[in-house]
Amino acid sequence: MATRDGALERAREHFDSGAFLEALARRIAIPTESQIPERQPELYRYLEEEMKPEFEAMDHEVRIFDNPVEGRGPVLIASRIEDSSLPTMLSYGHGDVVTSFPEEWDEGLKPYEMKIDGERVYGRGVVDNKGQHCLGMAATKAVLDERGGRLGYNSKFIIETGEEQGSHGLEPFIQSHTDLLATDIFLGIDGPRHSLKMPEVVLGSRGAAYFDLIVDLKREGGLHSGHWGGVMPDAGIILAQAISSITTPKGVILIDDWLPKSVPNSVRAAARDLVVDKMDNIPEPEDPEWGDMSLTKEEKVMTNTSVIVLAYRCGNPDNPVNSVPSYARARLQVRHVADVKREALGPALEKHFAAQGFGGIEVVETGRELFPAHREDPDNPWVRHIVKSLERTHGGRINICPGAGGSGPRGFFANHLDCVAMIIPNSYAGCGQHGPNEHGLKPLFREGIANLAGIYWDAGEPDAPGRS
Amino acid sequence: MASREGAIERVSKHFDDGRFVEDLTRWVAIPTQSQLLDHQPELYRYLREEIGPFCESMDHSYEIFDNPDPQRGPILVAQRIEDKSRPTLLTYGHGDVVTAFPEEWSEGLDPWTVKVDGDRVYGRGTVDNKGQHLIAMTSIAKVIKERGGKLGFNSKIIIETGEEQGSIGLKEFILDHKDLLACDVFFGLDGPRRSFKRHELNLGNRGAVVFDLVVDLNREGGLHSGHWGGVMPDAGIILAQAISSITTPRGKILVQDWRPKNIKDSVRKATQDLEVEPVKNLPPLDPEWGEPGLAPQEKAVIWTSFVVLAYKTGNPDNPVNSVPSYAKARCQVRHTVDVEQDVVIPALKKHLEEKGFGGTVEVSTDVGRIGHKAARTDPDNAWVQYICKSMEKTSGAWPNVSPNTGASGPRSIFKDPLECPAIMGSHSYPGCGQHGPDEHGLLSLFREGLQAMTGVYWDLGEPGTPPAKGLK
Repeated sequence: MATRDGALERAREHFDSGAFLEALARRIAIPTESQIPERQPELYRYLEEEMKPEFEAMDHEVRIFDNPVEGRGPVLIASRIEDSSLPTMLSYGHGDVVTSFPEEWDEGLKPYEMKIDGERVYGRGVVDNKGQHCLGMAATKAVLDERGGRLGYNSKFIIETGEEQGSHGLEPFIQSHTDLLATDIFLGIDGPRHSLKMPEVVLGSRGAAYFDLIVDLKREGGLHSGHWGGVMPDAGIILAQAISSITTPKGVILIDDWLPKSVPNSVRAAARDLVVDKMDNIPEPEDPEWGDMSLTKEEKVMTNTSVIVLAYRCGNPDNPVNSVPSYARARLQVRHVADVKREALGPALEKHFAAQGFGGIEVVETGRELFPAHREDPDNPWVRHIVKSLERTHGGRINICPGAGGSGPRGFFANHLDCVAMIIPNSYAGCGQHGPNEHGLKPLFREGIANLAGIYWDAGEPDAPGRS
Repeated sequence: MASREGAIERVSKHFDDGRFVEDLTRWVAIPTQSQLLDHQPELYRYLREEIGPFCESMDHSYEIFDNPDPQRGPILVAQRIEDKSRPTLLTYGHGDVVTAFPEEWSEGLDPWTVKVDGDRVYGRGTVDNKGQHLIAMTSIAKVIKERGGKLGFNSKIIIETGEEQGSIGLKEFILDHKDLLACDVFFGLDGPRRSFKRHELNLGNRGAVVFDLVVDLNREGGLHSGHWGGVMPDAGIILAQAISSITTPRGKILVQDWRPKNIKDSVRKATQDLEVEPVKNLPPLDPEWGEPGLAPQEKAVIWTSFVVLAYKTGNPDNPVNSVPSYAKARCQVRHTVDVEQDVVIPALKKHLEEKGFGGTVEVSTDVGRIGHKAARTDPDNAWVQYICKSMEKTSGAWPNVSPNTGASGPRSIFKDPLECPAIMGSHSYPGCGQHGPDEHGLLSLFREGLQAMTGVYWDLGEPGTPPAKGLK
């Protein structure tokens, strides 16, 4: 008889047999570096030669689309509709990798020749992201086999090939294929977990906006600091004063409209309860007094707004001369959670400056995070269903991360497909995902394939939440 | 019979005959650019071929000294001692000029060729400073002529050739030649005057303290702003906060010990009495900036100023998403003698400590610059009053007496070792372009300057001067 344990066993067996890593090695060998335009044929090859046959073997209908943006990589959609009354799960991964710079890798390692050394599996894309979406595919297969050629839910996959370039074209693509992509759940399979000890579900990510602050007193020529210092306004002082009005000396944000009005208790509790492994190469905050001290470190990143002076210049720092600066410029980055609208950040800053007497400072929004802020409520029925599934597979509590520091395209899907969007990460913080020696850990892969098999199995169970 | 009027008439005629501009033309033709180290021979040539013979022609003996720093320009000292019990005046000027960059000058102008166009006299050094020490020396010569080979006081002249490089070596030279330079009054000629209506005497300069404020959180590698923003301290925010604690948002200084206490009434009054003409093309003043209640000239003359000269954190040309671990600002404090120079840095450190920046913001004075000390002679000083009266007698107006220039300069290196009042007269104007292209003097101001200085030198030879210290 088909059982949950049976599906998990099949998934683990697939990994233990070596079949999983064997397929992965083949996929790593395709250098899908999307940041290099000449590699575009490799992006197509990856989807056509590696993804398409495997999905077709699982009775998914596969279509490969050119990117709506010229010069960007293709998008694959695989779809298996068993019954339109069943819930639908859209799993996401990306086939492209960052540029590999082979000369920076340790001796004996080559980015496109996967190598196993103890628990580590080296290769470009092993964790970001080929190894991870392959876990999802293998887990789907395990459930399909266990249920005798049935999943019990509708399965869709989207594999894009431009994530490392900022997923250009993905949003318009989603908008023009909402029916094809329609789903109850978006399940991204990507990123590192906070702890080796327990699985994790990531419920959101912050958005960000960039502002240039410009003080331009429009004085031509230099004003000698001896004759004019203390007489003529100094752009450097004014800008420092203006920036200093944004936070306390210890970095607590003073612009109320930048801060979330209320963060759901469930989100706060999840951030507080997060288990984070200590890592040798990751700094511990050495100054316990930075930012809002009523918040834990995780709450600061996951539930609150942050502001950084990314850069600041006035005068000629390389060769300071004796003149009163007429011009100063700084770039701020403001990261915000879903409780704060990005569009409100700029006007709030201008209003704050006007109220503080810095109305003369020009505020220019110079850019924003490509991906919007997004967050699911930990109390959402689908979230709870998946958390429960992971807890059951793991045999204990899991990490619920309300907002990753980094960002991803999940907000596009959540916004345009009106679905619940989550990420299941299967790597760890030391994986070196964008640098040399990228690697995954065998135990995490083995866990991950079972965790995902559990999620897919449970999606096909009668107690799964219904269609939204 | 010799008279004050006679002396002034002589110098006016000398000027009107074109001989002043003739001398100036020869002097300007020597490209004494001290900032170009290979121009040292020109500095020697200027002193040997022009200043020395000029001094001899008015019966001053002179000697040219190598600079104590072998890379820097020579120093000429001339003197004419008539009576050791009479007053002694030391006249100062500098023979070097800033680099000319001829291609930046307007068409038809060449830095080394004096050209008169209307009231203007173009050429590098016409006002900074060759034209100005030529005024002094010509005036001395005319007084000697008028008095029939006698001056009536002792004259000493020092012409250095390294002012535009910061007068390196001059301090050591003075300390080594205190007897040679001993005098009752130091009188330099340099800089612009504030008003066309009044002559001007500058009695001092502000001191300058330059330092870096450094926030170094000693983190290696970048911390991604997404994961660490708001968690790890941001050097850019901390430095902005620290700087913002030094002044109010409108630039009023909040470091208590930087603020002058007990400014003398004579200093305040002289500053308030300064007549300042609006300078063309100057951006509008902001009366709200700086110390409340002070007029613009008071802010620069009697008060302390704080300027952020430069500030950098992150990579301004290409900002990246990381939390800065390092930020640095180059700052400058200028202060009068009413604030001890040695107090500036300790006061700042104490202030930052009190504001909670003690552990994170470092104050570094290792910036490769020596700051000038503040110096000031009291406007009530008897010699100052005597010279003011003389100038009033010649021009009909009491001169502007500025207790300080806002800028810094080498005044204290004369004033302190020679223990004398140190006065600067100015015969240029703010629009003279002294360090840029098209430097020029005005014929009208040169002529006025010659008359006033001839009056001053004449009056120094009269009875009724303040008492002389007497030469050894």
